[in-house]
Amino acid sequence: MSVAPKRLTIGELDRLCRRRQAAGAPMPAYAGPLARHVADGDRRLLKLEYDDSAAALRLWSFLLTEEERLPAARAAGRKIVGTMKDLGTVPVMAYALPNVVAFYPDGAWWTPCVMELSEGLFGVAQSLGLGDAFCPVRAMAGAFVNRAHFPIPDLLTCSVGATCDDFSAVAQRLESLGFPILWWEMPSRRAPEPGEAAVTLPGGFRAPASQVAMVRSELERLRAALAALAGAPLGDAELAAGIREANRVRAVLGDLRRLAYTADPCPMPALEMLIAEMLAIHFCSDRAESVAVLTELLAEVRLRMDEGRGVVPAGAARLFWVNPVADLRVMNLLEDCGARLGGTEFLFCHALDAIPEDLPPMEALARMALADPMVGPSADRAARIVRDARTLGAEAVVVSRIPGASHCALEGAVIGQIVRETLGLPVVELEVPPVADPMWPTLKTRLEALVETVMERRKR
Amino acid sequence: MSTVVYSSPFVPAEWIAAHGLRPRRLRPGAGAASVGPVMGMCPYARAFVGDVASGAAALAGAVLTTTCDQMRRAAEWLALGGGPPVFLMNVPATWQTPASARLYRDELQRLGRFLVRLGGAAPSRERLADTMEAYDARRTALRGALGALGAREASEAIARFDAGEDLESATLCGTAALGCAALHRSCTPEGRRATVPLALVGGPLAREDVRLFGAIERAGGRVVLDGTESGARTLPAPFDRRRLRDDPLLELVDAYFGAIPDIFRRPDTALYQWLGRELAASGARGIVVWRNVWCDLWAASVVRLREATGLAVLDLDVSGEEAGFNRTADRLQAFMEMLK
Repeated sequence: MSVAPKRLTIGELDRLCRRRQAAGAPMPAYAGPLARHVADGDRRLLKLEYDDSAAALRLWSFLLTEEERLPAARAAGRKIVGTMKDLGTVPVMAYALPNVVAFYPDGAWWTPCVMELSEGLFGVAQSLGLGDAFCPVRAMAGAFVNRAHFPIPDLLTCSVGATCDDFSAVAQRLESLGFPILWWEMPSRRAPEPGEAAVTLPGGFRAPASQVAMVRSELERLRAALAALAGAPLGDAELAAGIREANRVRAVLGDLRRLAYTADPCPMPALEMLIAEMLAIHFCSDRAESVAVLTELLAEVRLRMDEGRGVVPAGAARLFWVNPVADLRVMNLLEDCGARLGGTEFLFCHALDAIPEDLPPMEALARMALADPMVGPSADRAARIVRDARTLGAEAVVVSRIPGASHCALEGAVIGQIVRETLGLPVVELEVPPVADPMWPTLKTRLEALVETVMERRKR
Repeated sequence: MSTVVYSSPFVPAEWIAAHGLRPRRLRPGAGAASVGPVMGMCPYARAFVGDVASGAAALAGAVLTTTCDQMRRAAEWLALGGGPPVFLMNVPATWQTPASARLYRDELQRLGRFLVRLGGAAPSRERLADTMEAYDARRTALRGALGALGAREASEAIARFDAGEDLESATLCGTAALGCAALHRSCTPEGRRATVPLALVGGPLAREDVRLFGAIERAGGRVVLDGTESGARTLPAPFDRRRLRDDPLLELVDAYFGAIPDIFRRPDTALYQWLGRELAASGARGIVVWRNVWCDLWAASVVRLREATGLAVLDLDVSGEEAGFNRTADRLQAFMEMLK
């Protein structure tokens, strides 16, 4: 008889890891007990609950060893590119070069959560003038200054224009501290005017061809900078190959998302799905391994579906989650409240959609970059959420606000209004700080109320 | 004549005027901030949306810009709320590439098409050049007049100029005729010795915010440099008369996009160069940073200004609420006591 998957504590997950090691089960070199990361300060890991599969163990090990991969890459002579804000575009270009790795310093926004504020990044940011009124991404500035979380990149890029003011301000502060930045313009995406030449972007948004051309010219500057850094050409052939590889990641992730968000009972927990989605934006510094990690997760999901096993009971309320949570533990909470993920929009749906392979590579990348949900109107973003929520059968929408983020004040209201009017679904807005423990009762109550609402609506 | 309001100094008034419409740069009233979510939304953006929405019937259109995230999103909020037609103008943050200037120029042309849809007429090159020349002459006169005015009166004169009032009304209003020293203790020789020269830098001022100048004076200071978004810092560069006739639109791009230093630009070196130059010339002994709460761009500048200038910096975060002004006045008082 098959046993339902269950969530494990870190101790239980590490025992599973040791058993597998002792049994000689195939495991990548980086896989190992998560307790080693707790010893390094990642204390939040002690409070999370994990999926009990080998695939999830591999996912977590892969994620948490990125800090080791980047210095190792440098030691091996590879160049490191820090790509800021664009969430998914520049890494596709960077990984098209054989001796370049790219990562998002933005990812440091989760460090205060993972280390439960013990790392002091917010304190460093505060001393730089980036206080509590800023989005948690201000932790990135602290990480550049204390140099304890990632190597200083050989090239630092940042998209600006239609971006969050928090991010633009934090990045500018970094440059003032002596970290040169290659700024590139991301125009605010708008609807084409009547009679204006327009193109459809990956994911379905429409944009004027002139805006795509503008982004393409900006990406050409990046292409030249990357090639100069690598000392190797970054031609269309290399880019096309890079796009194909990125699409492999996206394709596996696409299957994983579709199954994990629609199968009943839910075959993969929300927390692991959040981490899995994050692999799409920069491949966690190892593109090939990202494919392998996601493929194993997908296989686990398929196995569980075949066996009818799920991580929550069948019939759990299907919540569509908007924005990543600053505190990872909230993903556990939603399942504790009787819900499961029924779709997501974590700010980077453009990094999930397939990049067109039938276009010149720079044109394809420009279209993808302009499809970023954050660079267009909130109404566009809401339309995408409506479409995906409808397709996936979501029963409610949670807009998870990021404290201090300049985009959250208005976009949540716009998204909520459009979702209610179009789908008639209940919508709640929650604010999730990096360590949400003091707000736990409030968050729990609000999610439970939402689940009750969903269940009541089913009776109609 | 139909009125088109706008928010940003990067919207050229003469471009709107050349289309036969009346440009009016709005200084919203803080009391209008009754729309939109309170938490997380810039009070200035809320006030702007509130003012435009409440006066919608009298307005042909509103032009907002992408110069900050809050106003970019406020444009969408305004468009959803049944106000006048809204145009969101893309002002690039980067400025060091031809592509950025080209995008700004393209956006001016797109704005032109919007103005035509509002009932305006696309200007001929001559009409545009003539309009620009007239504005340039008025702006030159305004610049000349500002030196004779106290800081508050200068700020009000710019506001009236931006609102489209005639120059005499904009600059005189009794003050210059009387002489600045007749109105302000801080402008007399004794007053100058007794008060602390300050620079005021930061974001835009709402209508009621001019009282800040009075509060500074009452606290024992005087503003010798207005570097707010509503001050002379954001006036466009004078036009080159020859180029203006050759290609007026290009000249417009150069004078606005190519010349106005501002906090949103990346990199923001032009702003800090301007501050370095003007602070030295003004003799300011301290800096008051005026920023609307939730304005990340100016918030991030406070510590950096302190580091870059070596001057004392007072960070005034303002919420637009009446009750908050007493706190502002108290903080100014404490800052002055520190500087004296």
